[in-house]
Amino acid sequence: MRVSFPNFSNIHVVIKAVARKLGVSEGELVVPPPTTQKTLDLGVKYSPVEACLPFKLTLGNLIEACEMGADTLIQARGTGICRLGYYAKVQEQILSDLGYNARFLTYDVSRNKLVGMFSLMRNLKGANWFRDIPALHFGMSKLFSLDRIDKAVRHTRAVEGERGVANQIYKEAIASIDGAENGREVKRLTRKYVGRLNSVARDPRARPVRIGVTGEIYVVLEPFANMDLEMEMGKLGVQVERTLSLSRWVKYSLFLNPLGIDEWKDVRKAAMPYLKRDVGGDGWESVGEKVFHSREYDGLVHVAPFTCMPEIVAENIMPSTKEDLPVLSLVFDEQMGKQGMITRLEAFVDLLKFRRRSREKHENFSGC
Amino acid sequence: MVKVGIPRSLLYYQYYPMWRKFFEELGAETVVSPVTNEAILLSGSSRTASETCLPVKIFVGHVLYLANKCDCMFVPAVRSTGGKIYNCSKFLGLPDITRAVAPESPVILDLEIDLSRGQGNFLKAVYALGNHFTPDRKRIKAALEEARKANLVYRERMVSLKLTAVEAIGEESRNGNVEAEAPLSSCLTIAVLGHPYVLHDDHLNHRLLSRLRTMGVEILTAEMVEQEKLNAAMVRLVGKPHWTFESDIIGMGGYCLEKGVDGIISASVFGCGPDSMMVSVVRHRARELDVPFLSLSLDEHASEVGIVTRLEAFLDMIRRRKRICV
Repeated sequence: MRVSFPNFSNIHVVIKAVARKLGVSEGELVVPPPTTQKTLDLGVKYSPVEACLPFKLTLGNLIEACEMGADTLIQARGTGICRLGYYAKVQEQILSDLGYNARFLTYDVSRNKLVGMFSLMRNLKGANWFRDIPALHFGMSKLFSLDRIDKAVRHTRAVEGERGVANQIYKEAIASIDGAENGREVKRLTRKYVGRLNSVARDPRARPVRIGVTGEIYVVLEPFANMDLEMEMGKLGVQVERTLSLSRWVKYSLFLNPLGIDEWKDVRKAAMPYLKRDVGGDGWESVGEKVFHSREYDGLVHVAPFTCMPEIVAENIMPSTKEDLPVLSLVFDEQMGKQGMITRLEAFVDLLKFRRRSREKHENFSGC
Repeated sequence: MVKVGIPRSLLYYQYYPMWRKFFEELGAETVVSPVTNEAILLSGSSRTASETCLPVKIFVGHVLYLANKCDCMFVPAVRSTGGKIYNCSKFLGLPDITRAVAPESPVILDLEIDLSRGQGNFLKAVYALGNHFTPDRKRIKAALEEARKANLVYRERMVSLKLTAVEAIGEESRNGNVEAEAPLSSCLTIAVLGHPYVLHDDHLNHRLLSRLRTMGVEILTAEMVEQEKLNAAMVRLVGKPHWTFESDIIGMGGYCLEKGVDGIISASVFGCGPDSMMVSVVRHRARELDVPFLSLSLDEHASEVGIVTRLEAFLDMIRRRKRICV
């Protein structure tokens, strides 16, 4: 058996860690090559034309993994409203048409999540609680550590004196956390890298604008899909704020939601006057984040894959809310050009800086 | 008499007789917008975000048309029509989208239909809706029963007389017995897959169905087949359903492929999320069984001539195939 999975943010680090603890040998785990233009081209070539970007990218990943000899593929599935429920069905068909006889292990991201996680592990290596629980715990510790570092990186990028230092440290951090053997080492590395990021030389003149990023979770978190959106925003001196993260999803969906704790409670409540119910995917939360953070952020970037159903609902509703927060909607698909995105980001950041200046002027006058 | 506006779009084609009965029983009058035209489409698409799908744009256009012609607007949010089957996001967000992009619309009667959470929940929602007209719960319940009956009659008629939704609604309002337009020479049977709001909106699909009929084709749409047969075919093809319209597309496709038709035309709207996945399942099956399959993607830029050319070529190809086979 050779197991593989589609790329998503830093998930390869986590899966590698869990697999190692489960006793899956090096040869049995096929880590798909990093997502590149070739991956996208493969995905686009074999996908239905109107499928969404996450479908095409994950299909590309799986094809590349199959080329490397994978025969068991892990893919997400949902029972919600968005297309995710169909990913595995259609991708399995496409792969078998291409001549790869891969077995799909699907993981339901909307129901019985913790149970699903263990049954996934059982499918891989048979049940053994004494091995499975520490393995999951180890994987999660890496995930949480990466997200903590990621947050520090987002804040450092905006104020670093020399451009690119934070990204360099981030790259190093991912590599060394990937190599960490045990929980203690992960903790130590996290402290080390967060410390290093916090002590990066700052540009004394930097006054970053705070922009939130929200939208569809795959495009928000996968840098290839959003064309390094956060990195580009960092270059423009933006402090990127983001509520969505994989570790948060794992923490709440797997452990706290079953206990009745809802991480989105406030955000959803904020969305209520404008959108009364869950519309699948992350649409409800997108509207809520605009309302909820309207005083805190200077602006909001709303990202979605082209034709994403829940986010279209959000996009239609967002402009009409009473709360005044500039929103830039960016829609991603295989046709998107990076320069176009950067131009729009620059214009947006300029607008926000201008708004801030005029607000400050106004405040100064009224202060006299 | 209270006037309830019902936009002639989206779920209108499936449920209008039911809705009309319900509101009439409660002593209200329904006002339906006219058949979609260019002005309605343009007014709708000027309000919505550009990537919104065409039927939703048209829906907003209908709402805008009705805005000053009625006292309240009926915009249900149909979440689930049973089991763990859910509708597309845009149906769930419909009342909220309408409120956001068409603020001039009168009070929106926003009924959330979620049968996955049980009948009790549904009844509560219906009482809340009926409360706008009468506080009498018994009367609301009776109206609901009548409406259900009207819906069954409507479905039954479409299946037994092989009528399309538009014909069945038209016939009911005229109270006469109109036969379906007989095709000129019905030597070809073509299944047309698609959502009712795509197949029956002649402005959106450029008169696809009547065009096919004048080309001498006998058409088969999902409402002409019993729901149970569609469901059975769907389960055989993909297992448990996931979306409300799955039986209309996958079920209908599977049923027709098993039964044997001369060809399948799928009419979907550009950017339709569920269709992009479901049509590819049917297309795959059709390829395996060697049945001709034409996929039409419609949007506001689709040209009539382009569609006609493709239809003609498709039918010519099928006729030639049949001659060779016979």
